[in-house]
Amino acid sequence: MNIVFALAGVVMKEMYRRKDFYVLFVLTAVMTLMMASVNFFHDAKVVRIIKDVCLLLIWLSALVIAVTMTARQIPAERENRTIFPLLAKPVSRVQVVLGKFAGCWFACGLALLVFYLFFILISGTRENYWPMLQFFKAIWLQWTMLGVVVSLVLLGSVVFAAPSSNATICFVVIAGVLLLGRHLNHLAVQQAEPLRTVVYALYFMVPHLEWFDVRDFVVNDRPLPGLVDCGLATCYAALYSAVLLFATWLVFRRKALNQ
Amino acid sequence: MKRATPYLIFVLLAIACFSVATTLQSRVTAWNNGHDSDSVMKVLLGDGRRIFANQAFVEADVYFHAGYYPSVFDQSQAPKDTRHLTAKEGSAEEEEHERQMNFLGPPADWIERFGRHFLITEHEHLGGGKEREILPWLKLSAELDPQRIATYTVAAYWLRKELGKPAEAEQFLREGLRNNPNSYELLFELGRLYNENYHDRARARNVWDLALKRWRTQEGNKKEPDNQSLEEIAINLARAEELDGDLRNAIVHLEIAAKVSPRPDALREQITEMQRKLNSASPTPEQPRH
Amino acid sequence: METILETKNLRVEFKAQHSRGARKVAVDNLNLKVGAGEVFGFLGPNGAGKTTTMNVLLGFVNATGGDAFLFGVNVREPIARQRIGYLPELTYYYKFLTAEELLRFYARIFKVPRAEVDQRIDQLLKLVELEHARKRPIKTYSKGMQQRVGLAQALINNPDLLILDEPTSGLDPLGRMKVREIIQRLKSEGKTVFFSSHELGEVETVCDRVAIINQGELKVEGRVDALLDQYHSNLEQIFLKIIGYQPQLAAL
Repeated sequence: MNIVFALAGVVMKEMYRRKDFYVLFVLTAVMTLMMASVNFFHDAKVVRIIKDVCLLLIWLSALVIAVTMTARQIPAERENRTIFPLLAKPVSRVQVVLGKFAGCWFACGLALLVFYLFFILISGTRENYWPMLQFFKAIWLQWTMLGVVVSLVLLGSVVFAAPSSNATICFVVIAGVLLLGRHLNHLAVQQAEPLRTVVYALYFMVPHLEWFDVRDFVVNDRPLPGLVDCGLATCYAALYSAVLLFATWLVFRRKALNQ
Repeated sequence: MKRATPYLIFVLLAIACFSVATTLQSRVTAWNNGHDSDSVMKVLLGDGRRIFANQAFVEADVYFHAGYYPSVFDQSQAPKDTRHLTAKEGSAEEEEHERQMNFLGPPADWIERFGRHFLITEHEHLGGGKEREILPWLKLSAELDPQRIATYTVAAYWLRKELGKPAEAEQFLREGLRNNPNSYELLFELGRLYNENYHDRARARNVWDLALKRWRTQEGNKKEPDNQSLEEIAINLARAEELDGDLRNAIVHLEIAAKVSPRPDALREQITEMQRKLNSASPTPEQPRH
Repeated sequence: METILETKNLRVEFKAQHSRGARKVAVDNLNLKVGAGEVFGFLGPNGAGKTTTMNVLLGFVNATGGDAFLFGVNVREPIARQRIGYLPELTYYYKFLTAEELLRFYARIFKVPRAEVDQRIDQLLKLVELEHARKRPIKTYSKGMQQRVGLAQALINNPDLLILDEPTSGLDPLGRMKVREIIQRLKSEGKTVFFSSHELGEVETVCDRVAIINQGELKVEGRVDALLDQYHSNLEQIFLKIIGYQPQLAAL
C-alpha cells in the first residue's frame, strides 16, 4: 500500500501543478458570481438558479478533471518513458494501476472539496441556511461516482491507443449513462426483439451513475437519501470500480513495454 | 529600421482593418434595413432561441414543482398546459393537474426501485414566497421568446399575488405588451393587477374593455376560439361593473360569459338576480355599452 | 561466487511487423551468468537483442521461453528488483517533480527508512552535482542534468546490482569520466554492474567480463583480459570480427 500511496502522491502533485484545475475553478466561480449579480425583478433572495448553475458547473468540471487527468496517466507514462524507471523498481503492474486510480480519485476529491467550499459559501450566504449533512452527502456521492468514472477511464487508457480517443469515448458513455441510464428499461419495452434484449442487458450492466446525481435535492432543498441508501450506493460504486480496475490489470499486465 | 518593420506592418494592417470596418458599417446598417442590433440571444441563437425559450419555461415549471417533474421520456405525462402554475388550490385545473402529475408508476425492477431513493418522488408546489425561484427562468424565457404570452402572465401573477411586487409585475406586463401589442391575455392580467393590487377599478375596466375588443378581433371568427379567456374577461368585467353599480353592462357581460361557459347555470342565476335588482332600482333605463 | 544475474535458455519472440503470422526472434537461447562484484559489459551491434534482454531482466517484457533471475528470484516477481538500480539510456522523469521529490518518491518505493532518506538524498545530489538545482522542476534541467538525476535515482536504494543502458551516451568527456568513477567506486564496494555500451574503449578499461551478442545469439563470453589474449587485438577489433564485419580476420 505504501507504493500505491507513493504513486498516488505523484498523481496528485501533477494535478495541482497543472493549470486545468485552476482554469475550471475560476471559470466556475466567475460564471456563478455573474449569475448571482443578475437582478431578477429586484429580488435578492432568488437562490435556486444560482445553486443549479453552480452545481452543474461543478459536475461538468469534476468530470472533465477526472476524465482528462486519468486518460493521460498510463499513456503519458509510456510516451514520456517514465514507466521504465518506475517498473524497474519493485513495483508490480497492479500497484501501478491501483496507484494511478488512487491518485486520480483523491485528486478529484480534493478538487471537489474546493469547488463545494465555494458553492457552500455562495449558497449559505444567500440563504442563511447551512445544511452541512446534506452537502456532505452530495459531495460523498459525487466523489464515489467519480471513482467509477476514473476506473472506467483507466481501463480505456490501456485499451485505446490515444488519450484523446479514450477521453471522447468515455465522455460519451458517461453522458449517455447519466442521461439515459434510468430510462433504459422503459426504452427496452418499446423495442422489438432482439433489440429489446440488448437494451435490457445494457440496462442491467451499465453502472447507474445517475443515482449519484443528487443536485435536484440540493437545489430544491429536499432531504437527501438516507445514510443506508448512500451506503448501499457506495458499495455499488465500489464493486463496479473493483471490476473495472481488475479488468484494467488483466489488460495491462500483458502489455509489452518495449523501449 | 529592420527591427521596427514588423511592428510597422502590424500597425498598418490594424489601420487598414479599422478603415474597412468603418466604411462597411454604413452598408451593413443598410442591409439590415435600419434595424438596430438585436439582443445577444437573438444574435447568438437566431430563431432557434424559441426552442430554448420553451425549455426555460419548462425549467420554471420544474422549479415550481421543487424538482418533481416527468423526464423527456415521460413527456406524455407532462402537464399539457400552464394553467396549474396559476390555478387555485382545489380548483378543477388543480385536480386535473394532480392527476397528470402522477406519472411515476410502480418500479419495474430492483434497479428502478433502488434508484427511486435518488429521485424526487413527492409532488410539491412552491409556496410561502418561494415562488420567486421560478422568476429567473421566466425572465430568460421572455428574453428568448418575447412572443410567448404565458411567460408574462405567469410571472406577473406570482409577482403581484405572492411576492408583493405589483410594480415589477406591471413593468413586466407592459414589456410583454410592447412585444405583443394585441394580446388580450396580457391586457386581462394587467386589468387584474389594477383591480386586485392597486384597487383601481376604473382603470381595470378600461383595460378589460380593451381586452374584450382584442379578443373579438383575434378570436371572434375562429372555429375554436379561446372561450376560457373570454369567460374570464367577461366575468371580471361584470364583477367590476356590478361593484360600480352599472348593472346593465354587468348583465351583458355575464350573458357573454354564460354563452361560452361550461357551467352556465351559476352565471344564469346571477344574471337573474341582477335583473331583479335592476328592475327594482331606477326606472330610467341606461344604455348598455355594447 | 554468488550468481547475481542469470538467464537460462532465454528466448524472446515478437510478432513481425510487416509479415502476417511470422515472428521475429529477438533473443535466442541466451545463457548468461554474472557473479557478485563483477563489472559485466553486454555488447552487440544495434538490433542484436541487448535492449530486449534488458527489458526481460527488468520485467518490461515477458520471455517467450526460458527464464531470467536476479539474486535467484525470477524476474517476473517485482521483489527481484528490490536490490537493483537501473539507468535507462533515454532519461525521462516526471517533469513536474523536482530532483529532490523524485528521489524521495523512489526512496519510498524502495522502503528506504525515513531516517536515512534525507541523508541519502543529500549524498546523491552532491555526488551528481545537482545540489544547486534540487528544488527546481526537472523540466528546467538540461540533458546532462537529467542524466545525472537518472544516475542519482539509480543509486537511491544503494543497489547491489546496477543495470546501465548506454550510461555514457550523450555525455561530454567530463560526464563520462564521472560515470566511470562511479562504476569503479561501486566495484570497490563489492557491487555488481551490468551495462551495455558502444564505447568499447571504456568497456575494455572498466569491465571484468563481457558478452557479445549478435542477432539474438550469444557469440562470445569471457574475461576481457582473456579475450584480448586470445584474439591478440583490442576489444573493438574482436567485436567487429565476432559480428562478421571483417571476414579476413576470422581465419586468424
